[in-house]
Amino acid sequence: MAVPQIAGISNQPVVTIKLASTSDELMQCYALRAAVYMGEQHCPYWEEFDGNDYTASHLVLYVDGEPAAAMRLRWFASFAKFERAVILKRYRSMGLFMPFVEWAKDFARKKGYAKAYLHSQHRLWKIMERGGFRKVDDRVFHFSDHEYGAFVCDLTSPDCEVPTIFTDPMLLNRPEDRLDMPGVLEQSMERGASNPHAGWNDDRRAN
Amino acid sequence: MNILSQSIDGEAVTTKLAMRMEDSLQAFAVRAACFMGELDVPFSEEFDGHDFGATHVIAYVGEEPAGAVRVRWFQSFAMLERLAVIQRYRGHSIGQVLLERCRKLAEGRGCNMLYVQALPGDVSYWEKLGWRRLVPEEAGSGAKRIVAMIKAVDPSKPLPEVEAPESVVLRPEPQLDSSGRPLGSASN
Repeated sequence: MAVPQIAGISNQPVVTIKLASTSDELMQCYALRAAVYMGEQHCPYWEEFDGNDYTASHLVLYVDGEPAAAMRLRWFASFAKFERAVILKRYRSMGLFMPFVEWAKDFARKKGYAKAYLHSQHRLWKIMERGGFRKVDDRVFHFSDHEYGAFVCDLTSPDCEVPTIFTDPMLLNRPEDRLDMPGVLEQSMERGASNPHAGWNDDRRAN
Repeated sequence: MNILSQSIDGEAVTTKLAMRMEDSLQAFAVRAACFMGELDVPFSEEFDGHDFGATHVIAYVGEEPAGAVRVRWFQSFAMLERLAVIQRYRGHSIGQVLLERCRKLAEGRGCNMLYVQALPGDVSYWEKLGWRRLVPEEAGSGAKRIVAMIKAVDPSKPLPEVEAPESVVLRPEPQLDSSGRPLGSASN
């Protein structure tokens, strides 16, 4: 999965999407969510930062290098849950939402997921349907002052190998948004297995 | 001295210094909500590279982060920046509570002058709180116009009406390169 998903041409803004993989990128996701949910939608801090940020994958979208959109993905056994999708006010109506969701779907698909699931605010239901999602059932529920419905989208099989326990172990060690490119641990293989702490076991046994 | 609100709807108003990552995140979230969400400031301007050389003070209403301010320490003064209060908590003097906490912090450090770069529209707010213009004229142009203002840390010892010390002369925020040096400065 190449990192620049939508290449800019001529004077078009350059849009890039990536998995947040540093604390700075994570911080950008948090800032975007705080701007939209706390700043615009008046969500309380403790509802926005609900304790699930450190069990999730975070995606960040840049427009000409500036953080513009973020999304959180959580991994359940049989589906990936897309959450906290925001686009900063100044970047709306650029058509970023659907490509961002498609990128997230592709990401989940390449991890082997067959279903993407999300809770959509009522006002966005039509958009979610256009994006290939359908309502799970007729239930409408509410939290953080908004009405939601549960949506699901079947993900097609990716054109690459889906990771399993029989996949090349080093492939599973790669950065998750670049499973098709060698990762830093593959480079470390050149150093061989010198086992630098060999022999510690006897000396350092827990008492 | 104004009487500052000690509680809002039964919830205590408290302040604390950011001492842990989670505290800093709360200060950043409050600023992102106000400056990025409400005022459309881009991320790269709001988070300008000075956050890790600064002290952050957070105000809480109950457990909820409601306001934040950043203090940068200079040799002869403390610079207060990025003062923000979440929209629904405005009108309860939380800004003043934060500023008072900063004043005490500066006092404890032996600092005798507080300094802000105010937006022209906010000058009357600062003046009501006892601040005065450092120089009569504004600096910058357009949306970037700012007014340098100062206040004595000890209210019983007002700052003398003298020319600004060299170190307080208004200067633009340096833009930093990726290694944290001011742009255009010599490398290495």
